[in-house]
Amino acid sequence: MIPLSLRLTVQGGREAVVRLVLLVLAVGLGTGLLLAAIAGINAVNTQNQASAWLWTGNQVEPAGPPAAGNARLWWHISADMFAGQSITRVDVAATGAAAPVPPGIARDPGPGQYYASPALAALLRGKPADELADRYPGRLAGTIGEAALPSPASLVIIVGHTPAQLARTSYTVPVTAIASTWPGGFARRFNPHGLSIGPPVQQLNASGTDLVLSVVALAILTPVLIFIATATRLSAARREQRFAAMRLVGATRRQISMIAAVESTVAAAGGMAIGFGLFFLLRVPLASIPFTGEPFFPAQMSLSVLDIVAVAAGIPVAAAVAARFALRRVQISPLGVARRGTPKPPAAWRLIPLLAGVSELSFFVVHGRPATVSGQVQAYFPGILLVVIGLIVAGPWLTMTAARFLARRARRPGALVAARRLADDPHAAFRAISGLVLALFVTTVAVALLSTNDATKTHRDQTVPAANVLTDQLTGAGDLWYSGLPAAPPPTSVPWLARVRGIGGVTGVVEVYADAKLTIRPNPHGAQVSAGLVSCAQLAKVPSLGRCPAGAAVAGFPVALNTVQAGTIGNITWPAEPVPAQRLPGRGVDALNVATNGSQQAIERARTVLASAYPLLAPPQTIGEQIAQNNAVNDAYQQLTDVVILTSLVVAGCTLAASIAAGLADRKRPFSMLRLTGARLGTLRRVVVLESAVPLLAVAVVAIGAGFAAAALYASSEMKHSLVPPGAGYYLFTAAGIAMCLVIIAATFPLLRRITGPEVARNE
Amino acid sequence: MTILQAKDVVKSFGQTPALRGASMTVRQGEILAVMGPSGSGKSTLLHCLAGILVPDEGEIWFDGQRLDTTTDEHRSELRRDRFGFVFQTGQLVPELTAEENAALPLLLGGARRAPAIAEARAWFGRLGLDGLEQRRSGELSGGQAQRLALARGLVTGPQVLFADEPTGSLDSVSGEIVMNLLTAAVREQGTTVVLVTHDARVAAYADREIIVRDGTVSTLTGVQP
Repeated sequence: MIPLSLRLTVQGGREAVVRLVLLVLAVGLGTGLLLAAIAGINAVNTQNQASAWLWTGNQVEPAGPPAAGNARLWWHISADMFAGQSITRVDVAATGAAAPVPPGIARDPGPGQYYASPALAALLRGKPADELADRYPGRLAGTIGEAALPSPASLVIIVGHTPAQLARTSYTVPVTAIASTWPGGFARRFNPHGLSIGPPVQQLNASGTDLVLSVVALAILTPVLIFIATATRLSAARREQRFAAMRLVGATRRQISMIAAVESTVAAAGGMAIGFGLFFLLRVPLASIPFTGEPFFPAQMSLSVLDIVAVAAGIPVAAAVAARFALRRVQISPLGVARRGTPKPPAAWRLIPLLAGVSELSFFVVHGRPATVSGQVQAYFPGILLVVIGLIVAGPWLTMTAARFLARRARRPGALVAARRLADDPHAAFRAISGLVLALFVTTVAVALLSTNDATKTHRDQTVPAANVLTDQLTGAGDLWYSGLPAAPPPTSVPWLARVRGIGGVTGVVEVYADAKLTIRPNPHGAQVSAGLVSCAQLAKVPSLGRCPAGAAVAGFPVALNTVQAGTIGNITWPAEPVPAQRLPGRGVDALNVATNGSQQAIERARTVLASAYPLLAPPQTIGEQIAQNNAVNDAYQQLTDVVILTSLVVAGCTLAASIAAGLADRKRPFSMLRLTGARLGTLRRVVVLESAVPLLAVAVVAIGAGFAAAALYASSEMKHSLVPPGAGYYLFTAAGIAMCLVIIAATFPLLRRITGPEVARNE
Repeated sequence: MTILQAKDVVKSFGQTPALRGASMTVRQGEILAVMGPSGSGKSTLLHCLAGILVPDEGEIWFDGQRLDTTTDEHRSELRRDRFGFVFQTGQLVPELTAEENAALPLLLGGARRAPAIAEARAWFGRLGLDGLEQRRSGELSGGQAQRLALARGLVTGPQVLFADEPTGSLDSVSGEIVMNLLTAAVREQGTTVVLVTHDARVAAYADREIIVRDGTVSTLTGVQP
């Protein structure tokens, strides 16, 4: 039976071959995407694991002296930046030969030595020393191996010191072991004897990333599955006719199931081979896409043996089961399927899942969001999933309703034929456009949420001069205060400031003098922020940072400019403070703001001077860099959303094309008979257009509405923000998507002309 | 000797009755014509006799065994091994070549391909199909397709051949050729034939006729039903 089935599969004429090729391509695409998603999840976990050692210092360290044969390593971790990229800086000092050694290097660096990641070593070699290398005392002793790097683009440096240089400085702890497991997130005061700060470049939370990637995989795989289902239905009428003929001459149901299973398994096996080929071909380019903010090493995008076996065995088995399931829906008797009754019309209960999804999301608007992240995931994910399922379930009912409306209004034969056919089998009509409907829904939710989220983040509307201001806190703030030691007092003299002022491209410096009690409210509707005092004479030279009230000599000014969420900083008038300007220098400097002309050379030179002066403090950042960091996750999600939308739209377009072609092939005899009896080609074209356009427009309106509703409910309860309407890009995209559908439909017109010629009416 | 029998068979499609208590017998080796106007239920009667349809009421007996209560699997086996079929249209598998179509019942029965094809080819010469072995069904004329269907119907050496309007889509000359070949082959093999037709010229090839009207066997010619 299997040889006969194989022959039917591969030698079944042009239609069968087209069907097989489309199925193989669809399964190949699905398999490739599935493998990429699995490898992506593996890569994120591997990337997280590779950064585990950077959490050293957060581990619980036993009190008292180290065990015999062990020595302590003084450990200090901080952030640095170069040209907008974060550098993880680890300062260490070994107290003996038995001190622990970080991964990726053979031994701890001694005083005057440092190890750098390959990417940073290349920067150190390629850039002038006064822009980068001067920040690190000593010489390059070697590069850090891949084992210690989350990404090939990671900028990491391990700087050696003497124990005397590091011991008892702020934010430094002694450790007896290097962390080997990633803690899964930062817990405040995780270790009362250790650091309460995490590494500057923290990887994404693994479970959260898994969830995001799973949703992404689902959003991409669902249209692919619909495509596979559509390809399976290609030439279904002819296939069923063939099965009926075989039943007539004695084929049992089991034999028919076997033939169908072999057909599907051959397609699945071929598709699987293409999918694996695609994955391995695109693995390296895929690894270079910074889904998590940094690219992966190609080796991180790997599959375990279990992954490979599960996919290789699972897809053909799933295909065989799906084929058997599909046949159960069709009663193939020896007389064909002609006696099968018209499918039952979809009932209104199909709206229930959609309404349930919207209700579920509404519940959390009324009752508030759950307190924990996992609780929020459990709350919102089922609601959005229910809406997606609800759209698929309700689609046929909406299609039927629109078709019945069209049938009542139809005045021309084309509209009447299309409406009757849609009303007769709305499931098939909806299947053709379901991928597009899902793409529209996903796009609407994603774009609306990203627009809203954008509005809740630090404003991006800073002027270019403000974005180029380098801002440096000379004392710790926030989390950095906790180290078990008192914070260093603000420096009262900054002799290197003259060097900063002398750098070409530095246009002004605003010193923020300490005032421990002062707070100001930059935005009338915003929060109070810690502030210091600035000289109005200095501020006047840097207008991008705002202005003093007229006649004032001293004004209150935020210690950390990234706490200001009040629109354009340059438009703010800072409050006057009754302090004589000449008394300011004696207070010590809390922070510095260095205005530059924006050239990378000026910024990095100034940063190098400041970082060298205070190597163990958080390095200065420009306001532009702070904004970019604040919005980095949003930008990453935007990028991921673009990938999802484009992929699902392309796949949905393929589904629509395959579906229309399948519908035409199945009806070429009745269509050709219509043409023989005088129907014009234009009438048939109208039928084809209406059959796709009516369900598409009817369900798209509901999908877009559901998308906005879901996004509004989520934004209202999770973000505590009303929905911000998306920009013109969204509407252009939606219009382009619908226009693409019409182009795809029009692309099938030549096929319609060809297959409805009078010669088709002859007996096959 | 009776080989097929229908006893008070009732069959409806939804609310539409097709057979309302039809009874008849078929004798071994005879050619029985089942005649009647369109919609009278003659095809439905044939389908019930062949185990394609299961009657709502009544009994179908074949060669001493009850057919209407047996399993679908068993009825499939009977159709494959002991029955043959020639229908008006839509009976050939378009993806297979002519010789594969003719050998299909043997292949479904588990025969190896080469001997099955060889056995099928033996019928090509007898039915005037020489040279058409590699053609697909779409490349055959209506008469050729019906002769190929006849080859397929006879390749297993069936006890009963069911023919439903076998010349319905053919011109009179082609129809005559098909009927001459059909009757010659079945007489040679001693195959029983149940022939549904509304064409008196086709019915003239039969040994006996029954007429189906409004779902019952109402008129007989020749010997009793």
